[in-house]
Amino acid sequence: MRADDPNLKRIRPVELSLADRFFLPAIAVGLGVTARHIAGVMFGGKAITVQYPEDQHVPSPNYRGVHRLNRDEEGRVKCVACMLCATACPAHCIDIVGATAPEAWPDREKYPESFVIDELRCIYCGMCEEACPVEAIELTGLYDLTGLSREQMIFDKAKLLSVFDATREQEPMRYGRPPADPPTLHTTALPAQGPGPK
Amino acid sequence: MATIIINNVEYPIPEGEKLNAIQMAQRVGVEIPYYCWHPALSVVANCRMCEIEVGAKDPKTGEIKLLPKLVPGCQTPAKDLTVLVTNSAKVKEHQRMVMEYLLLNHPLDCPVCDQAGECGLQDYSFHHGQSVHRFVEERSVNPRKEVSDGIQLNTDRCIMCTRCVRFTREITRTGELQVTRRGSHAEIDIFPGLPVENPLAANVVDICPVGALLDKDFLHKQRAWFLSKHDAVCTGCATGCNVSAEENRGALWRYKPRHNPHVNDFWICDEGRYSYKAANKPDLLGAMYLKTGNDHKKATTGEALRVVADRLRETVAAGGKIAGVLSPFLTVEEAYLLGRYLKALNPANVLAMGPIPTRGADQTFTPDPIEGRTGDASFVVCRPFKIRAEKAPNRLGVAAVLEHLEGKVHSFEALLDRVKGGEFRALYAASSAVEPWIDQAESDAIRAKLDFVVVQDSILTPLAQAADVVLAGATFAEKAGGYVNADGRLQYSAASLPPREGSLPDLDLAAILLDRPGNPVRSSEVLAEMAAEIPAFATAHGGKLPEYGVLLAGVDHAPAGPFPPPFVDSWFVAQGAARAR
Repeated sequence: MRADDPNLKRIRPVELSLADRFFLPAIAVGLGVTARHIAGVMFGGKAITVQYPEDQHVPSPNYRGVHRLNRDEEGRVKCVACMLCATACPAHCIDIVGATAPEAWPDREKYPESFVIDELRCIYCGMCEEACPVEAIELTGLYDLTGLSREQMIFDKAKLLSVFDATREQEPMRYGRPPADPPTLHTTALPAQGPGPK
Repeated sequence: MATIIINNVEYPIPEGEKLNAIQMAQRVGVEIPYYCWHPALSVVANCRMCEIEVGAKDPKTGEIKLLPKLVPGCQTPAKDLTVLVTNSAKVKEHQRMVMEYLLLNHPLDCPVCDQAGECGLQDYSFHHGQSVHRFVEERSVNPRKEVSDGIQLNTDRCIMCTRCVRFTREITRTGELQVTRRGSHAEIDIFPGLPVENPLAANVVDICPVGALLDKDFLHKQRAWFLSKHDAVCTGCATGCNVSAEENRGALWRYKPRHNPHVNDFWICDEGRYSYKAANKPDLLGAMYLKTGNDHKKATTGEALRVVADRLRETVAAGGKIAGVLSPFLTVEEAYLLGRYLKALNPANVLAMGPIPTRGADQTFTPDPIEGRTGDASFVVCRPFKIRAEKAPNRLGVAAVLEHLEGKVHSFEALLDRVKGGEFRALYAASSAVEPWIDQAESDAIRAKLDFVVVQDSILTPLAQAADVVLAGATFAEKAGGYVNADGRLQYSAASLPPREGSLPDLDLAAILLDRPGNPVRSSEVLAEMAAEIPAFATAHGGKLPEYGVLLAGVDHAPAGPFPPPFVDSWFVAQGAARAR
């Protein structure tokens, strides 16, 4: 676009008055806002921060935290090892080894022999959850994810299933069906000596 | 000149070939979808997917008359003044209806189906089908069954194209598969107790357009879109079938045949198909070794090669001769560079061909234009498929190199006798064989007569255990280069795996020994040199081989007729997101 383009709309800066140029009234207004918030926190109970870890933060229902691998009604892993999550994953943090399902499982042909997510590599975008055709992988509201080593943060199938066991009651089928009232989530730290690779 | 009119555009018909409408349209870039048609099998026109509008143009008046009904494209010959319409609303509506019909009973289990990603149903459903399913009755459920120890049949996924049935009747002519029952109960099956056990059996998995026939060797191991495909040549026998070597995460997962009308047509034998496994073996040589005392110690590539170069030079300086063994598993480029290195040290050095493994007898499958055919075979060019008893990929290539460098081809046995006679002081044996090629007794006998032994190999053999220097070379999957098959056809095989940790491809080892400037060496450069220098390789001028390979000069083997461009089932390419990976 050229400088003399007729479509250009010229905007002039606002002329400041003498009071504006002293800035003192604006500073007073700003201090007023601060004072109102101080009063709100001290007397009105309007604080938006929490005293973590004594007080636990409750994330919104669509918060994307640690993954879980869902179980079906019989307690078997729901995953069918189609590897669509691994395909969709932009961080390439999911590693699945598929195998032919045991004869005793007539309803499916394939299951994951190993299912590993590198939680440090993951960017928690939720694409795996979206790609999953059988609603087997979900992101829970667990956010206080810690570990003492990189290896501890690589979650294997048993650990991902244990996340499901720990969050089954609080978050029944989060995806697509939000609960009527926001769940009160009591997060508990994952076992330090988890079943993940040492 | 004969012309055909496809979608209002006039195209010349290639001469000397009998094409049907699908092939003709494919040549000019118009896609007619099909399932049951295959260029090597007879036409049965039972999937109805390729139906198009067909007519004729009156040569005098120029008037175009279309037949009132749709006609299967696979059955329609491409004749002069034929008119094909593939993109009309009538054709599109028909394709949509056929897709809906084929998917009536098809289970929606693409996530667990191994064919997903290279499936005809998926692709055509996306291009020509619809997303809704109007069928409200229960889908028929057929059991999973085994048609042989290596092949599983999921009958519920089958669309009854009968390609597999026609393959066993027309190509292998063993006829194990047939259609049992009728109508919506129809099923592919074997006769009780007679599984599909012929040397080409697993080809039925390749030609199955859907996920009904599955190779148990590959079942549930990888998804098709994770695999990167490399155009390689099978090293299982002297036929040199063109294969696509499919790799993921540093391992080969399967071989699939590539079309080459001069060599393997559309097929590969089961033995060759599963020969990829040798590249994944865990016990391949993983380092260079130097003999110190009675033990072998790991050495870096530089150290090992320096010892080889120094000791061989000392041997020659002391007046000794070196025996060189060039295995028929080496590519022509490797054989040439190694041979040149040994000959440059001392022209009196003797080069010989390595042992050539043979097993059984040649087996030829000869499809007949009439016999065994189920339907119209007038578009089929019958080409025999041969499984060779000679289980080495490059005997003729190495022989051509030896004839140039040595004047004649010494056999391995003759060389061993001369070694035992004490003629040589040192031995340089280069092999990439997949099986041990020398036994303990032979190895002991020649070791006693030699001062210095170098073995360049990818597996551990008795001779390697006795050698002074062991160089870890590449397996067939890790090297790129040319192989000359039993018909004298020089074909390029690309490397499908990176070199193993601690090893170096044989061509690089030879180039370092030769002190070749401009490393790392490329096989095409070496082949270009060979083409300039060796008369037999003159046809490989420039070092770049055409898709179907070239015959070595002097091979009196005129190609039979014009050959079509390579045929790839139109769905056998990764689609959508899978293509981008």
